[in-house]
This record gives sequence, structure tokens and C-alpha cells, in this order.
Amino acid sequence: MTITKIEEHKADWSEVEGVWGMAIDMDVCSGCQACVAACAMENNIAFVGEEDSGYGRALHWIRVEHTWEGEYPEVHSTPFQPISCQQCGDAPCEPVCPVFASVHSQAEDINLQVYNRCVGTRYCANNCPYVARTFNHRDYERPDPLANQLNPDVTVRRRGIMEKCTFCIQRIHKGNEKAKLEGRSVQDGDVIPACAQACPADAIVFGRLDDPQSAVSQMSAQGRAFKLMEDMNTKPRITYLTEEKSYGRNG
Amino acid sequence: MDNKNLLLAVFADIDPAAHAVDLLRSLGFGEDQISVISGFPISEAMFGRKPQKSHVPLMALGGSILGLLVGLFFGVWTPLTYPLNVGGQPLVAGPPVIIVIFEMTMLGMLLSTFIAVFLDSKFPNLKPMEYVPEISDGKIALLINCEGHNCDAVSKELQQSGAESVRKAEANPL
Amino acid sequence: MAVMANSNQLHGKGHVMEPDHEAHLREEHLMLDPRPRSELNAMVMESMTTTSWKFWAVAGFLALVVAVCLGYYWYLMIRDGMGIAGINKPVYWGIFLVNTVFWIGISHAGTFVSALLKVFKAEYRRPFTRAAELMTTFGLVQAGLSIFMHMGRVWLFYWLFPYPNERGLWPNFHSPLAWDFLAINTYLLSSTMYLTMPLIPDFAMARDRSTGWRKSLYRVLAMGFRGTEAEWRHLRFAMNLFAYAILPVMFSVHTIVSWDFAAAMRPGWSSTIFGPYFVIGALQSGLSAVSMVLIVVRSTMKNMKYFIRPEHLDALGKLMLIISMSWGYFFFNDYIVQWYNGDKYTDLLLHFHEAGPVGYMWFLMIIFNVVIPWATLWNKKIRRNPTALFIIGFLVNVAMWFERYIIIPTSLSINRFPFTYQFYKPGVEIPLSFGTLALFILLYMLATRILPIVPVWEVHEGQAAHSIKKFGKEPVVTISDLE
Repeated sequence: MTITKIEEHKADWSEVEGVWGMAIDMDVCSGCQACVAACAMENNIAFVGEEDSGYGRALHWIRVEHTWEGEYPEVHSTPFQPISCQQCGDAPCEPVCPVFASVHSQAEDINLQVYNRCVGTRYCANNCPYVARTFNHRDYERPDPLANQLNPDVTVRRRGIMEKCTFCIQRIHKGNEKAKLEGRSVQDGDVIPACAQACPADAIVFGRLDDPQSAVSQMSAQGRAFKLMEDMNTKPRITYLTEEKSYGRNG
Repeated sequence: MDNKNLLLAVFADIDPAAHAVDLLRSLGFGEDQISVISGFPISEAMFGRKPQKSHVPLMALGGSILGLLVGLFFGVWTPLTYPLNVGGQPLVAGPPVIIVIFEMTMLGMLLSTFIAVFLDSKFPNLKPMEYVPEISDGKIALLINCEGHNCDAVSKELQQSGAESVRKAEANPL
Repeated sequence: MAVMANSNQLHGKGHVMEPDHEAHLREEHLMLDPRPRSELNAMVMESMTTTSWKFWAVAGFLALVVAVCLGYYWYLMIRDGMGIAGINKPVYWGIFLVNTVFWIGISHAGTFVSALLKVFKAEYRRPFTRAAELMTTFGLVQAGLSIFMHMGRVWLFYWLFPYPNERGLWPNFHSPLAWDFLAINTYLLSSTMYLTMPLIPDFAMARDRSTGWRKSLYRVLAMGFRGTEAEWRHLRFAMNLFAYAILPVMFSVHTIVSWDFAAAMRPGWSSTIFGPYFVIGALQSGLSAVSMVLIVVRSTMKNMKYFIRPEHLDALGKLMLIISMSWGYFFFNDYIVQWYNGDKYTDLLLHFHEAGPVGYMWFLMIIFNVVIPWATLWNKKIRRNPTALFIIGFLVNVAMWFERYIIIPTSLSINRFPFTYQFYKPGVEIPLSFGTLALFILLYMLATRILPIVPVWEVHEGQAAHSIKKFGKEPVVTISDLE
């Protein structure tokens, strides 16, 4: 019997293409929260329950913010603003994790959360200026048949671990593999995160920022475009588009 | 040291003990034949003796250099060898490296000083040693190796010079 | 001659006569009131070996509190997750971190007394250096427990340690928490070593004076120490080196703890003054805790009234006043810079501190930390009164706990996205905090009956160095430098 030697496979960073980014058009966002629901379905996010959610422990990776200013009847409301992890280039959550559970991905140029390395010190969450990170305070139940809904491409997290939006990295890898099989480069349309897929208004656009022809690059170049908290120098990968005043727009 | 030739003279105070040491010197005893045991620290100069050799300072220095190297290992070598990009900070970033080096140097220095005390004093030493409990009551004892001298005569002279007691030193379990 | 005659007349009018002055000096200062070493030894041995039923009743009660509040609730938290504590988004750090900083602050007391006062040759430190150093060791134990408590997956705590492994895992030394790990461990090891070294001669004394299980214990712990010149020389050098070297370690530890907050980009946290502010805060709570502990030790242990006298409380009270002034300076520094800037979220934060649901903590913090010490500690009678000093010390410690509560959970409620604001309501942190306090007191109580609480040889050394010399007509305390 011959023993087949299995070649050691090391991930080659150059094999994964694309600097990924997102553009969110706040002027067409209707605040329907389909993105929130889709993200929860895609990423096996636990159902936290009414009491804990009311106390601020909801595990939603993306939230739709809507604020009001002024007294009735002169009330001004800001446009709906879906905020998830901004996948910062200089992410403040990364250097503060004592065990390297939050690191920068060289390949996809996004911020990675390594679930099985996290020991739950929650420093990353304190240092995120966008308050984008969530923590598993308990082991949440998934009574039957909800467990059938789980996405096999995504880890199910237990208590004590931080989690956040990953730009649906499982879909990024799938799109990359498909493109490689077909012997071409990854194009617009190969990779759609769950939130972009679900949005009925097509307010969320995802694609390669390193491709100047991609939809997201063109949208990011528009006059309406701005980045959240740009003066904090975190170099976020999400660009928001709106004419109106909103929170996070340069102070 | 031969048990038979050891004398233990106990004094109540520094002055009689210092005079006794002078007396012993005049009787021809060398410095290494006399040892002083006390319940509180007395500097060797109070008896006109040279300071005892101690390796603790050298080990403290060595330990701090070792600590410095460990700090460099943590702060410089490991990030360069296993690079992980965090927060856009350079792999070997100034302020974190300084902090790590400082802490490890201090730890190295303090740990090595502590260990040096143990090694130099040969702690833990649970063998029977020449000692009497009066010493921890504040008395000063002279342990004299009277080989080559008449132990009884020396003993008498010490008693006359103000020793509280002079006896043959026995090695008792401490 | 005429002058002499006049001064003789003055003597009758209530001015102190020389023998009374000397007697007063001897009564006031431990260092001028020497007793034979054998008597000092006997006194310390007696205080160590004497226990009453009250001691065991208190110890038993504390053990129960530790078992329930610390043991049981922590088991629940490990089993069920951090959900039973009060943390949420955005207040990810709550009372556990407050306790961590609080206990590290208390632990600075020991180093301050045994190292800083030694460096400044403050002779009055001699009887209580060990009592203070014990606070450091046990305080750091509670701080370590509190850090473990706040971790989501505490069973993986060892991942913070740089150990060789085959999975390419390593701690991140860019992180202030990793610096914390290095600094706190360095400090814990160093202060334990600094506690141990002067203990060895006292263990030898205890070995010579005890029987039974105590003798076997001290025989092992004394490690064969006899008091030879060589042994003293090694010990002396090491203790001097430690006294000087542990001071930068002490400063660095609480500075690094402060950088857990200052390095984060949060309104109210990203303040450059946090380093020295926290160090002084640590000294503030530490010194007050030392006063409290010494007053309790003095009144509950035999013979301690000989060793710890009103002069020591007086000195500690003066130090408390000075540190309270320094704390007020640093607090005001931090506050005025934030207030003056007028950044939108910092403004909101300051208002939330002062007028929010825990605004009472902010006001009480200022009253207990600044107003009460400044109003009372200038007065010698108050400083020397154990009950008064105990109350002031207790209030200062309460205020310092409030200060950390304001800095950590209260500040975390406010960030740059008002949509996410949440209050913090502590859950199981409260019994766990009491558990750590009970454990601290319990460990301390047990230690006082196993270790000689007074470093007798250091007191003896000090008393040998002090004498009263006449300068003209006045008896003056003279200290010889025996080192």
C-alpha cells in the first residue's frame, strides 16, 4: 500500500483577489431593516430576545440608525443610516486585542474577527468609534426547527466571543473560487453580501475598490460621498452618500 | 570546619564584641577564622572588617541585561518573524517596544537579585548549623575557629573581655 | 546669667522642662522608646499567636462570604456567560474593571510605604512596612481575580502568556492589555519578593521562639538564616536595590493601567493626563487603605499599640493630605481641559457625569476626596485620632471607587453615536465585588497570624540608630545612618 503524501497547502495571499468596499446610498434607504434580517440569517446571528435587546445586547451586525432633532413641529430627522463594521484600514480595534483575535486581513484588506482566538476582553469593542462590534453575553437558544436555518459556511459562536460584520467573507471566498475556476478575475456581481442582496432599494452596493470601473468605486467618487468620522483617521471602507446632514459626517 | 575547634561567644552589645574581635586579632587570629552572627544587621566596618563578598550586584546587572534581551525578543523579534498587521501600526512600533523592554528589564533585574540572594546565602539551608537562638534576641555572636590556638585559653580571655557566654559551637538543626 | 534666671522663671509658667520633654519624646516616638530585643520578639510573637473567638467568628463569616459571593456567583457566570453581569453595548467594561483598577490602586500602598518611604529615609515607616506590603500582595490577588472575572472566556486566560506553541499563537504586545499583563505580573512578583526578603530574619526569629507546627513551618520558611555578615550583606544590598527599583515599576504599573483607557479613542478617555492622574489616584486610595488597615491592626492585635503610635497615624494623615491635594490638582487638570475644549461629545459626557443618573457619585467623589481631607487633615488632633482617620480613609476609598466608576462604566455610556447610548445596571458584579473584598480581608487576617506583622529586626535597627542628644537645652532626636 502506498502512502500518498498530502501536499501542505498554505494560503497564498495573492490568490485572493480584491480590495473590498461598500457604498451605501442613504437617500434611497427606506429604513426597512431587510439588511438587518438578511445579515442575521446569513451569519447565524443568535436571537437575543426582547429583554436583553432592550438592554443593548442585541447581536445585530448591522443597525439602521435614525435620529431626530428639534421640538415638534419643527422636527428634523436624519436619513436612515445603516451602519456596520466599517472595515477600517487603520482599525482601532486591532492593536488593542491582547491575543490577536482582531487582525487585518492582508488578502481582502478588511478587518478579521477570529472567533476561536477571542478570549472576550472586549477592548476592541470599547475602541471602535462606530460601536460596530457585538458580544455574545450568553449562549442563546435556537429551538427546533430554527437550527435548520443555520448557514453551514459560517461558524456558530458561543458565549464570551466578540463578533461583527465580516463583509460576508464566506461569500467573498466563494466568489473568488468561482472566478478562479472560470479562469477570470473577480467582477462586480460575483460577490454580494447578504445585506446588499436583500436591500429592496439597492441602497447597498458592494464591490472591488481596487477596480476603478466597479460600481462601488464610481459611487464612492460622487460628490455626495463621505466617510463616517473621517477625521478619526480610521480609513473606513464604507462610503455613505447623502446630501443631507447626518451623524458621523465630519463632526 | 572541624566541630571540635569552633567556639561560639555571645555578646550583648556591639562594643564588647568589637573589642573581642580586636583581642582575637591580637592573639593572631586571621579574619577568615572569625565570623560575626547577629540578629540585626551590623556593618563589617563596625568590627574593622572588610565587606563580605557578594555576587548579588553582578547578578542584578546580568539579570537586567537578560530581561532587556527578553523584552527585545517580545517586542522586536517575534513581530518581525510572525508578522500580523494590526491597526495600521508598524510591526515594530516605538512606544509598545519601549514599554515591553522596560518591564522585562525591571523584572529581570529584580528576579535575578532575589535569586542571587538565595544562591549566595545558600538558601534553603536545612543542614545543622552553628547557631544559638539568643542571636535572634539581638545578641551578637562570634564564631571562632580556634584551630592552631589553645581553645580553652581563648575561651577564658573572651569571657574576661565581656562575653555573656562562651561555649563549644555545636551544629544543631536550625 | 540674666538669661538663665529669666528662663528659670519661665519654667514655672508651664514651659516644658527637659526631663518631661525627653519623656514626651520617648512616649511619642517608637524609635526613641527602645526595649530589649527579646521583649520586642516576645511581643510580636504574642500578637501573632493570640487569637480570640471573635477572630475566628469574623474569619468564618468572611470565608462564607467568599464561598457564596465569589465562588458561587463566579461559577454561575462561567456557566451562563457574562449575561448575568451588567455589561452591554456600549458599556462593555463595568464594575469588574473598576474593581481591577481599585485593587491595583490599593496595592500601591505597600510599595509607597516600604519603598518610597525607605528611599526618603522616613524612619517612622519601620513598624508598618510589612503590614503595608501584605496589602500589596493581597490587593494584587483581588485585581487579578477581577481581571479574570471580566473575561468572556476566562478558561483561556493563559493565552495572554507568551508560551511557545505549535499553532503560531502569541499575545499582541501592541495592546495595552498585554502591557498590563507584563506590568502587573512584574509588580506582583517584585512586591512578593520585596515582602519575602525582610521576612526571612523574622521567620528565623519566629523559628527560634515557637514550637509544634509553627516551628516546623518557620524552620522551612527561614531557610536556615542565621544572621551571618554575608547573609546580611546580601539581604541589605538586595533590599536597597528593590526599594529603588520597585518605584519605577510601581509608577509604570498604574500608568499602564491608565493607558487601557487613555489609548482608546473614546470621549473622556483619550486624555493625556491619565498616566500621572491614575498614579496619584492609586497613592490616594492606597494610603487611605493603609491607614484603615493599621488602625484595625492596632486595635485588634495584642501589643500593637506599642509599635503603631499616634505619630504614625499623624505621618500618614499628613501624607494623605498631600496626596489629596495632588489628586485634586490632577482631577482639575483633566476636567478643565475637557470642559474648555467644548467638543460636542465631551460636553455631553461631562454633563452626563455630573447630572446623569450617577451624578451623586461625581459630587460625593469630590466631597470625600477633596473637601473632607482638606477640611480635616490639617488638624493634628484629627490626624492622631484613630476613629477619625479611619472614617476619613474609608470615605476617601469610597470616593476613589466612585472615581473609577465614573471613568469606566459612566463614560462608556456616551460615545459618538447617540443611537447606541445605554445605561449600565450592574448585575452579579455586586456580590462578586463583595466577594473580593471579603477575600482580601480574610487573607490579610490569616496572614497576620502566620507572619510576624511587624518587621522586628528593622524596628530594632531603627531604635539602635536613634538617640536623644542635647542641643543647648533642647533634647533633640538624632538618627545615625547605620548603613
